[in-house]
Amino acid sequence: MINRKITILGPEGTNLYILLQFMLFNVISWFTLFSSIESIEFETSNILTRQIVFSLIGIIVFFLTTYLSIENLYNLINSLFLLSISVLLGLLFTAPILGVRRWYDLEPVGLPIFIQPSEFSKIILVLFIAKILSQNSFKLIAILGVLVNLFLIFIQPDLGTTMLLLIVTSLMFFVSDIKLRSAVLGFLLIFLSFFLFLEFNFLGDYQISRITDFFSGDDFSQTQSRLSISSGSLFGTYFTESQITEVFVPVQTTDFIFSLYARNFGFFGAILLLSLWILFFFRVNRIIKRTQIEFEKYLLSGLLILLGVQIFINLLTILGFIPLTGIAFPLLSLGGSSIFSTAIIFGLINRVFIENNIVV
Amino acid sequence: MFNQRRLKYIFLTFFILLAFVLIDIFQLQTSEFESTSQIIDQQNLDKFYITAPRGEIFDVNGEKIAETKLEPHLFINMRKITNQNSSDYKQVIQYNFPELTTKKINEIFESEDILHFVINLSSVEYEVRNNLITNFDAFLIIDLPIRSYIKNELFSHTLGYLGIPNQDEFNKFQNAFGNNEVGKNGLERYYEEYLSGIPGELIFSGSEIVDAKQPIPGNDLFLSIDSSTQLVTKESLQQGIDLANKSFESQNVIKRGAAVVLDIESGNIVSMVSLPDFDPNKFVSGISDFEYKQLDRDQAFNNFAIQGLYPPGSVFKVVAYWLALSENIFPQGLDNKDSKVDCEGSLSFGFDDGSQQVYNDWKPEGHGKVDLTNAIKQSCNVYFWDIALNIWRNFGNTKGESLLQEYSKELGFSEKTNIDLPFEKVGIIPDRDLFEEWKISRPGLVREEGWLGGDLMNLIIGQGAITTTPLQVANAYRTLLTGENLSPTLNINAEKITNNTINVSDEFISFLLKDLNTVTNKGGTAYVSFSILGTKANDIGGKTGTAQNAGDKNNTSWFVGVDSISNPKYIIATVVDEGGSGSAVAAPVSRRIIQHLLGYELTPVEFGEITE
Repeated sequence: MINRKITILGPEGTNLYILLQFMLFNVISWFTLFSSIESIEFETSNILTRQIVFSLIGIIVFFLTTYLSIENLYNLINSLFLLSISVLLGLLFTAPILGVRRWYDLEPVGLPIFIQPSEFSKIILVLFIAKILSQNSFKLIAILGVLVNLFLIFIQPDLGTTMLLLIVTSLMFFVSDIKLRSAVLGFLLIFLSFFLFLEFNFLGDYQISRITDFFSGDDFSQTQSRLSISSGSLFGTYFTESQITEVFVPVQTTDFIFSLYARNFGFFGAILLLSLWILFFFRVNRIIKRTQIEFEKYLLSGLLILLGVQIFINLLTILGFIPLTGIAFPLLSLGGSSIFSTAIIFGLINRVFIENNIVV
Repeated sequence: MFNQRRLKYIFLTFFILLAFVLIDIFQLQTSEFESTSQIIDQQNLDKFYITAPRGEIFDVNGEKIAETKLEPHLFINMRKITNQNSSDYKQVIQYNFPELTTKKINEIFESEDILHFVINLSSVEYEVRNNLITNFDAFLIIDLPIRSYIKNELFSHTLGYLGIPNQDEFNKFQNAFGNNEVGKNGLERYYEEYLSGIPGELIFSGSEIVDAKQPIPGNDLFLSIDSSTQLVTKESLQQGIDLANKSFESQNVIKRGAAVVLDIESGNIVSMVSLPDFDPNKFVSGISDFEYKQLDRDQAFNNFAIQGLYPPGSVFKVVAYWLALSENIFPQGLDNKDSKVDCEGSLSFGFDDGSQQVYNDWKPEGHGKVDLTNAIKQSCNVYFWDIALNIWRNFGNTKGESLLQEYSKELGFSEKTNIDLPFEKVGIIPDRDLFEEWKISRPGLVREEGWLGGDLMNLIIGQGAITTTPLQVANAYRTLLTGENLSPTLNINAEKITNNTINVSDEFISFLLKDLNTVTNKGGTAYVSFSILGTKANDIGGKTGTAQNAGDKNNTSWFVGVDSISNPKYIIATVVDEGGSGSAVAAPVSRRIIQHLLGYELTPVEFGEITE
């Protein structure tokens, strides 16, 4: 399995279904963004051009990830995790951007982009947890590592990602055979400390206002996004001359892109997109059942949980059920870091498929 | 051990959540559709734009010449003003800002805007500002950029100025609407999109701001212009204009002129001056109608370096010089540049087409025996007329008759130089086709017979219908010395356009430089103007030009200089409109600029010898 022939499309046997679905999601994102811009210009400031470039790089990232065998990956995990922790630590020494230390600004080295390390550290965390779970003996230091990772993201501060990773971590432990009682206990403990931190005013002002805004029940962007979704009706406004004035939604192309999608393609569009994701989940779940390797089972389910929870947090935010989180919708939202990290997830899944000889 | 059953529970939870989400979306898009459409229709969110800070502009030494300062501006949210509180607000404004008249204050309160500007707070103490916004809900302080041109008039034509955009400009520049200012002229215009920045936005729902987007500043611009050279160029040109006014009886007051210093190697512009000039800062604070009209009448808004159209006179002779050596066309009977004709002060030739029969040189007694070098040195017309005659004899009324025009166009005449400034003019190189066209479009301007041999005689000495800009002339000399017609640019990072290349040998270039050198030395037309430099003038070159104008306009005074013959770095082109003789007025202006460029002591512009 290790001596696979290397072809242009990665090692022999790239799973066509995974690749196609990855590209399909990207194309859907292009169509959605297309409706929000006035013209296509080949400039870096044009959001559609940006997204297309990101998608194309995403495909390369997908293939590059596929070259890495699961065995080599497994051996790399500890180093990757240490790297991820140090990069997150490094953020503490950067100048805050928009009041938070969440990005590395690559302007000084001549690239007009920001890198958000937490997008990638999510995946490394899932890999790390999959590894410690498959080893079947928890070392205290490993658990501590996970908590440090969460804490570093928490103090950026990035509440949304912290919540996301907290849920993902808990669910991954849940699918291992640990006693339910200890799982629930640990989960509660962490949540409790999370709110204790909140109570002690550890957070920036704007986050407090995000939360209080929500409880006062009238977050503007969420109200607007509900209006935007509603205006899509059953079939959307994309293919018909719309009678309805456009709805202004702040940051609609990034975190709130689903509201734009639902406006454009209506209820049937929403069903279509979510069905594609369900199909994807079923497909991957079959491999979880088939493979005999514990690590691969944990890895695949961990990645599915990561994607699933992101999607739900995003949807629930947009519909106004939970406070603003800043979690992107995978492969739909505008943004390079998000596309690249999802490309890595798809690439990893593809590699597991290859190693189990499932090509189509 | 991995627990497949528990994973199933997770997926089941996902399904339940998904069903929940889809039901909510379904309800939104069906049963609530009608009611939300109504809300959307009534929503009318308003946008208020915040002008973005424009990029700043620096000279070649990194000295700032245009800057943008953010200053706090007090605004009032009119949607929060009610009948009850409006008198309170009026009082607060009156009390704190006694400089505002009652009329102005009433204007504010009658406006229909969402936000209305009250006053610039930059000179108001912090406590007062703070007090205003904490105690009065409708007040809002927004930092707005203020453009200032640090050197005032010095860069008026290169930098241009800002103004409120018109409909065309809204369509042309996407940020013009939000910024509510746009470059009207100069670099501010040419680099509008680059400099402008993206305006910020405040989104209002009713009287409340529900979303805000910070403005994104524009990009900084770095110029090849050197402030000190610019200053010397301006002073020298002004001295030249004053001198011309003093030195001879002129019916008109002489006011206009232009000078350009071009870097030969790069094609960058080192300085560019047009007079009269204006202070672009006046457009920031608002210029009075009277002042505007006065400046406009003096044509102060024209950048004569790229918009002034002048017959080039004798500075144009280098075109024929180049043609003669390239095509081996010399006066009748001569076959090389060193053979001489006898200039007797006039040339008569029996044109059979009705052209003038006798041509008189500017020097009635003639220049004696002249070869090509002497013809440049003493600006002998007869020699060049002889060349024109030869062209006419060989090619007249055939396809080849436009030889001189083709050579002119190769050097960029009647074409855009493609400088990075707007509204550049191209001038005219006349030929048979143009005259035929004018017969229809501008009857009366050309004679019935159309293009004649005499017109070619005029053209070869830069007279007649020909017009050029000072920049074109400078760029043509640069092209002859480098073989490449490049777009001259002000932005140091601008992409250079190669307009075209020409074939000049190193031998030709050294001939040309040597012959230009004779002009500023003993026996040359500009000798008197450069004599103050003593032996230092031995390495300098140039060409004088005195172009006649129609009507009662004085002659146009021209000089094109090269700072060094052994190591040429700069071309200096100077024009004084109605300045008279080129060797007397424009030459000493260029001389003073060259003194600065070479680091010599500056001496005042003094009247030179009157030649043509």
